[in-house]
Amino acid sequence: MRKLTKAMIGFGLVALAVVAVAYGARSHKTASDTLVFGSSADPVALDGALISDGESGRVVIQIFEGLVGLKPGSTTVVPSLATSWKGSNAGKSWTFALRKNVKFTDGTPFNAAAVCANFNRWYNFTGSFQNPSATYYWQTVFGGFKKYDPKSGAPKGSLFKSCAAHGTSSVTINLTAPSASFIAGLSLPSFSMESPTAMNKYGANQGSVDADGVFHPTGTYATQHPTGTGPFMFQSWTRGDKLTLIRNPNYWGAKAKLSTLIFKPIADNAARLQALQNGEIQGYDLVEPQDISVIQQDSNLKLLSRPPFNVAIVGMNQAIPPMNNLKVRQAVAYGLDRASVIKAFYAGRGVVAKEFQPPSLFGYSNTVKQYNYDPAKSKALLKAAGLKLPVKISFWYPTGVSRPYMPDPVKNFQAFSASLTKAGFKIVPHAAPWTPDYLGGVQDGKAQVYLYGWTGDFGDPDDFAGVFFRTPQKQWGFNNPAIFNLLTKARDETTLSKRIALYKQAENMLMNFLPGVPYAHTSPALAFQKNVNGYVPSPVDIQFFSSVSIG
Amino acid sequence: MSIAQLEAAEVSLEASQGGLWSEAFRRLRRNPSAIIGFVLVALFILVAIFAPLLAPDDPRAQDLQSIFNGCCPGPSSHHLLGVDDLGRDELSRILYGARLSLLIGIVAVSVGLSIGIVLGSIAGFFGGWVDTILMRFVDIMLAIPGFLMAIGIVALLGPGLFQVMIAIGVVNIPIFTRLLRGSVLAQRENDFVLAARAVGVKRRKILIAHVLPNSISVVIVAGTLALATAIIDAAGLGFLGLGPQDPATPEWGNMLTSTVRYLQTAPFLAIFPGVAIVISVLGFNLIGDGLREALDPKLRGRA
Amino acid sequence: MLRFVVRRLLLLIPILLGLSILVFVWIRALPGSPAQALLGERATPETIKQINHQYGLDTPVYQQYWKYLEQTVQLKLGTSITTQQTVLTEIRQRFPATAELAVAAALFSVSIGIPLGFFAAKRHMRAFDQISLAISLFGISIPIFFLALILKYIFAVRLGWLPTVGQISVLINIPHPTNFYLLDALLAGNLGAFWDVVKHLILPAVALGSIPLAIITRITRAAVLDVQNEDYVRTARAKGLPPHTVDARHVMRNALLPVSTIVGLQVGLLLSGAILTETVFSYPGIGSWLQQAIQDRNYPVIQGGILFIAIIVVFVNLLVDISYALINPRIRLGNK
Repeated sequence: MRKLTKAMIGFGLVALAVVAVAYGARSHKTASDTLVFGSSADPVALDGALISDGESGRVVIQIFEGLVGLKPGSTTVVPSLATSWKGSNAGKSWTFALRKNVKFTDGTPFNAAAVCANFNRWYNFTGSFQNPSATYYWQTVFGGFKKYDPKSGAPKGSLFKSCAAHGTSSVTINLTAPSASFIAGLSLPSFSMESPTAMNKYGANQGSVDADGVFHPTGTYATQHPTGTGPFMFQSWTRGDKLTLIRNPNYWGAKAKLSTLIFKPIADNAARLQALQNGEIQGYDLVEPQDISVIQQDSNLKLLSRPPFNVAIVGMNQAIPPMNNLKVRQAVAYGLDRASVIKAFYAGRGVVAKEFQPPSLFGYSNTVKQYNYDPAKSKALLKAAGLKLPVKISFWYPTGVSRPYMPDPVKNFQAFSASLTKAGFKIVPHAAPWTPDYLGGVQDGKAQVYLYGWTGDFGDPDDFAGVFFRTPQKQWGFNNPAIFNLLTKARDETTLSKRIALYKQAENMLMNFLPGVPYAHTSPALAFQKNVNGYVPSPVDIQFFSSVSIG
Repeated sequence: MSIAQLEAAEVSLEASQGGLWSEAFRRLRRNPSAIIGFVLVALFILVAIFAPLLAPDDPRAQDLQSIFNGCCPGPSSHHLLGVDDLGRDELSRILYGARLSLLIGIVAVSVGLSIGIVLGSIAGFFGGWVDTILMRFVDIMLAIPGFLMAIGIVALLGPGLFQVMIAIGVVNIPIFTRLLRGSVLAQRENDFVLAARAVGVKRRKILIAHVLPNSISVVIVAGTLALATAIIDAAGLGFLGLGPQDPATPEWGNMLTSTVRYLQTAPFLAIFPGVAIVISVLGFNLIGDGLREALDPKLRGRA
Repeated sequence: MLRFVVRRLLLLIPILLGLSILVFVWIRALPGSPAQALLGERATPETIKQINHQYGLDTPVYQQYWKYLEQTVQLKLGTSITTQQTVLTEIRQRFPATAELAVAAALFSVSIGIPLGFFAAKRHMRAFDQISLAISLFGISIPIFFLALILKYIFAVRLGWLPTVGQISVLINIPHPTNFYLLDALLAGNLGAFWDVVKHLILPAVALGSIPLAIITRITRAAVLDVQNEDYVRTARAKGLPPHTVDARHVMRNALLPVSTIVGLQVGLLLSGAILTETVFSYPGIGSWLQQAIQDRNYPVIQGGILFIAIIVVFVNLLVDISYALINPRIRLGNK
């Protein structure tokens, strides 16, 4: 036993020594030109054309650029790879002058042929690439593809007609119908210009359907070799661990100040804050309201705000009675204590929404009908609708998710559920995980009353009211041609002043018809270490890191 | 009842198994940790029963006006344990939570116990291929770690309090089956069983009248410990978002989970339900331990 | 001995078959079809039919099971719906992390639990004994995730001694030939990285090891108490052997027998506890992977993952049985 003790002490000393040496050898102080950003998940892929999620977009926008971009901190469309553009043929043809002497990071020149190669690639997608989840934004902005495939779920017919190169630095995009709003859409990461050489070499368009019927990219382009013109270029990606980008030394504009930009996925929001406090990351997005004061009080950290560009909504499905009765929808609107919810849960970063689009965007109406919390009025309306109190409604809420417009949906649900109960309703709660169950159920029209919302993708009102109400949709369950027509007319109008008037008219009409109750516009917050400079928060879900420096 | 009748009843108790029990009880009384356990559990049960009388507030009544900056004022004279993220009185929620935890524990254990007793005694008493098949099935169930199986069952049934109870109960089935079978096997060869058989008593009667009562002590010990585990597992399932559908439900696991995000601003919101879980589980574990020692024949006559 | 091992291996066949049936049936009983999970809100009757056909879900159930069995035996576990990687690839990436965590937790619980239990038994009914009992009772009474959260808050957030998330610091770059990060760090000759990985392991391992620690302490204590009163120990003492020698040669050696089996049996507990621990520490192991898969209705992953864990548990139990039989010949002979 004594021998044993001695041996153990010896072993312990050796172990200590090893640890001490190892500790001395450690050197993980952040290099001053490396920034680690805490993301909430891995990107899906690094091929702009095939993504629609924010995590992928965040990385893609560093590596790639589109023809047009957004002015930092706004939704104003500005030149990027195109220096100017103008419409002709009554808004059906748009000619872009391209920036000269730009190269992709693999050396391929960026020119008119490359632009057409990208547009033609998108337009010619077939098979699984036409799945709406694969090419969501193409389908949102341009509709369908060259070859219509009824099995894919993609719409028939496309806004895109053709792409014509004039020499190397001018290109014309021809459309099948007049459109002005598609230019703003081109600022999305999904319309990034990608190197045609690299896409060919690494099989961006290759994929197969395996024995299980699941589509796989067989190429390595979207996971190992994304190639663009942006301020950063791809270095490495280990799923679940980190994704590393490095400065593009040959960038045509102001070069990135950081030499290395790392994205580290941390799923849990509280864990992201803790990692920030502990210095493991330098910044993260979507700070939750309760953490705002923690960050403000921490002398090593700082808080940045995105301009509000979203809307939170309590949706109502008119296909499920009694929601088809306007009086019942009005009773819901009067029964939601929106002001208290915003005051209690949004930590001063939210305002009560009066309509379906944020005030900063053109087309906002100041004359919509208002619904202030009034439970007595709700009850009266329900009785007037000939219903017996309490009126039973099924109220859906998502779990395991935090969105910019509803940091904690479970809390919003509980508060609304309590205030509706006071207003003569009986709430049957229905919880489901955000994807796929919740979104699936809501969009399939299974939810009667539900929490929903939207963050704008680009600065056009069609991206708010139009997304929801321009076409009949199962989740709202109504068919109102007057609204559909008005919003279609507003989208296709090319004169700005007329568009503004049309959208104001549409918001007024919507708030009378009340397909849902908008309840919040929020100003989401980002947190950084104090020594991180030059970050400009954007209203849309995009982040630019090229101007960021540490020190 | 006359004194004679009482005496007779007592004698008959003694004769069957009173020796074991009365001695166990005597030893239990001298075991301080078991007594602490009994006190904790008694407290827990009393709180569960009298929650409506004890609670100062409705556990679901919100007060959004009291919330600002995201969350939540701490303890005050109005709210002894503060309020939660929706302005609900934390003390009332903790008190009502005892009901649900107790309910989860009892239902889950009863499910596991009742099915386990039936399967275990069948396997043990009949032996042969019945035993083989049942035991292989138990082996298969035991190969899947219990908590993982509970998650799987809840995924099957959908999240909810009732589903959680069933899931934890099912997880307990193989454990109790094995326990009962072992105990029955051990007694099958006992003198009194052999004697009963020799005089031609039916097998089912032997099982119910002789074998099962003698397995009771094992079952009680295991059941108490299973209660403790059930409460912990239910909290774990709640933590993974598989708890009650109505988030307003004052269930400890649910309360802990929904307030973990306030660990920095309002740590008490996570700590109070956490401590409540620990205390109640500790109580059952202390009793279970004490009972095991008291009923262990090896330790009889000692200490 | 060989016969014993062969018989035990043969016994595994029905268990594994049963397991596969259980998982197969369970997957099919889950709400929402695989087609719906794959297509989400975009599922139309036609696309569902198409997917069902591609999956062979329109064939009789026994054929489906046979196909599933065939593929499983060939280790074709399918493809993750969210990442498009094969389930096997993901297991290869994820399992080493959990294995490291489980081993670390086991080391923690054994290295503290056995001495604690031993000294508690030596000082039976005295203060130390009571304290060790209290620690072990506390260990099994506190929910793992609660302990993990508290540990993380104190040691990582407040004191800043240890990292809060992950398996290795972002800024350390080492190649990962084995995916066992400790091993990879050593192979790369990078002690800094090794220490970094160790630091990331400490808190999750302590949280995960809390229950095994409690159990091992109690079993050791009970075993030592038992053995101490055995005749051969009394004889050894009576012979006048020094107490240390008696403890080391007779008491510990015999007491460790039951303890070693118990350690082996903790594997299931460690693997299921890993689900909660990994979730708290965003640790990229098999537990957080499965938890995410269940949320995403990622059927191939759930199916492959549960089967994989069950097989690990079954084989570790087998190893425990065999090694137990090796140590203790009576078991072999006693078996019919």
